[in-house]
Amino acid sequence: MKTVKFIGLTASVAFLLLLSTACSQNTEREDMEFSNTPAGNFLSLWTIMDERYCFFDLKKEQLGVDWNEVQERYAASISNEMSNRSLFEVLCNMIGELRDGHVNLTSPYDYGRNWSWKTDYPSNYSADLRKKYLGKDYVIAGDGYFYSILDDNIGYLVVESFGSSMSSSRINVMLNNMTLCNGLIIDIRDNGGGDLSAAEFLASHFTEKRLAVSYTCYKTGPGHNDFSKLYKNMLTPAKEDLRWIKPVVLLTNRGCFSSANDFAFTMKALENVTLMGDTTGGGGGFPMSSELPNGWVVRFSSAPTFDAEMNHVEFGVAPDIRLDMDEADVKAGKDTYIERARKFINDKLVNP
Amino acid sequence: MLLTLLLTLLPIPALAQKTVWTLPEHNETVRALSIAAGKAFGRDTYLSASRYDGWAIGFEGDIWTGYDPERLFSFGRSFSSAYFSPMTNRLKGGSTLAAGYSGYKAFMWKALQTRRHDILIGPSVMFEADILYNRQNSNNPVNGAGYLAGGLSVDYTLRFSMFRYDMAMQATFYAPLAGLGFAPDYDQPYWYMYKYSEYGKALHFILPFNNPAFMQQVALVLPCMGNRFRIGYSFDYNGNKLGGHSRNIFNGMFTIGCAFRFQNKEWDL
Repeated sequence: MKTVKFIGLTASVAFLLLLSTACSQNTEREDMEFSNTPAGNFLSLWTIMDERYCFFDLKKEQLGVDWNEVQERYAASISNEMSNRSLFEVLCNMIGELRDGHVNLTSPYDYGRNWSWKTDYPSNYSADLRKKYLGKDYVIAGDGYFYSILDDNIGYLVVESFGSSMSSSRINVMLNNMTLCNGLIIDIRDNGGGDLSAAEFLASHFTEKRLAVSYTCYKTGPGHNDFSKLYKNMLTPAKEDLRWIKPVVLLTNRGCFSSANDFAFTMKALENVTLMGDTTGGGGGFPMSSELPNGWVVRFSSAPTFDAEMNHVEFGVAPDIRLDMDEADVKAGKDTYIERARKFINDKLVNP
Repeated sequence: MLLTLLLTLLPIPALAQKTVWTLPEHNETVRALSIAAGKAFGRDTYLSASRYDGWAIGFEGDIWTGYDPERLFSFGRSFSSAYFSPMTNRLKGGSTLAAGYSGYKAFMWKALQTRRHDILIGPSVMFEADILYNRQNSNNPVNGAGYLAGGLSVDYTLRFSMFRYDMAMQATFYAPLAGLGFAPDYDQPYWYMYKYSEYGKALHFILPFNNPAFMQQVALVLPCMGNRFRIGYSFDYNGNKLGGHSRNIFNGMFTIGCAFRFQNKEWDL
């Protein structure tokens, strides 16, 4: 009987210990949770960004953004009497200070964003002219992938989005169709990104060597500099697929963002590829999302990416040949970018 | 549908017994299946700082096995439960789906067995996994929490009579004490885990202080038309603070089901 009592007592003590641990966890949870008031939502947003956004040091260095000072400045605009719409405006302005296309606030009112990385620059792009160069009989190779062969036997591939991946067989068919072309122009202007793996998969068809194209890490804690070790990102030649080793000109503008930005610096690392146009829009942080107490969703850059030379790509990738659209060309129905790319490839044929 | 399935099982004849509930003898098993309904709560700061709750449905399966009485651990218990819950936050502005499985295999020492009381206690191996799917997060919609651990399991049974019917009340408590838990390393994206084969950072050694978890059950066993009905309440808590984020996922559900006793003639344990 004594044994039974001892066991019962031991089990009870163990149970109480576990329960108290669980309760202490609950207390911590309560402390971390913010109230659903304008002040609570404001503080929640500021804290989520403070603990999880990955570019604070870079933004301080390049844009002079001091996140603590930002809190003080915007806190003055918060009152518990303000409307939800006003709160949304203040919160969007606060996160807009970071000038990051991956930083957004979604609410029933609007999709909060700061797209100055694109809108403050010339677009260098005309959808009408692109259609004209593609012609009427262009091939739709996938969702957002179109191509045709220009008069001077140069392939012209438009990638509108990396929202979906072009299948291996379709890439093979496309490259096979253009086997006799002298070169290839890939136009990713205004490509806002999508799936990173789709961009990598396409790029893998333009190299015969396995090479390091970028590095990345992720946040391991709430401190602004709590990062994991760097992971090397290797580009491996597409297996059992056709691979394009002739000249490639990649056309970029400020509208190239996120995965398109990744595609740009990946392609830039390849010997047969020349970047032409404007610096890309950037977006070098892998995004994640969270929610405020009122249900609004905040998206933020969480894991930074560096190119093969360990440069940040958050502010874009510079082209090898800087170019702007010429108004006279546009009036004449010509796309300066495409014309220069054609000339570049044709010149290479003469002077390899 | 589960209820219909359960009702179709009712005609299966229950075997004769002295009381409504006794521990299985050597080479005997008692199997119980219950459906469950209640409420679940979840909060995972990897996905959102908000707390969610919603109704939950699930099932529980229980198998008691009688081993050789000469053994130290002369009884075994295998328990499985699963649940699903669509949750919302307090303002109904956020939406999260939760699903989970928990189970354990316990080897029980008969600490006490009298005409009215049974107390079984023993070590157990436990596994629990919960998955939360935040329907608003576009880039990181899913997160999982789980563990595989060794722990402690205690069962208590009280037999009594009411209105001339034999009944039994069962109470169970189990808790993991040490093992391995899974949780992303702070903001480690799942894509990175896959791409760089970096799963090791998501595995953590767990103890009750960083992974407090337990399950409690109380059930009443009633005789009904020659069968044994079990009506009960289960509370399952899985909390952790692994990898820098905190998670608290728990559910409380009422259960109803049947228990059947089987003889394992060709199965020598």
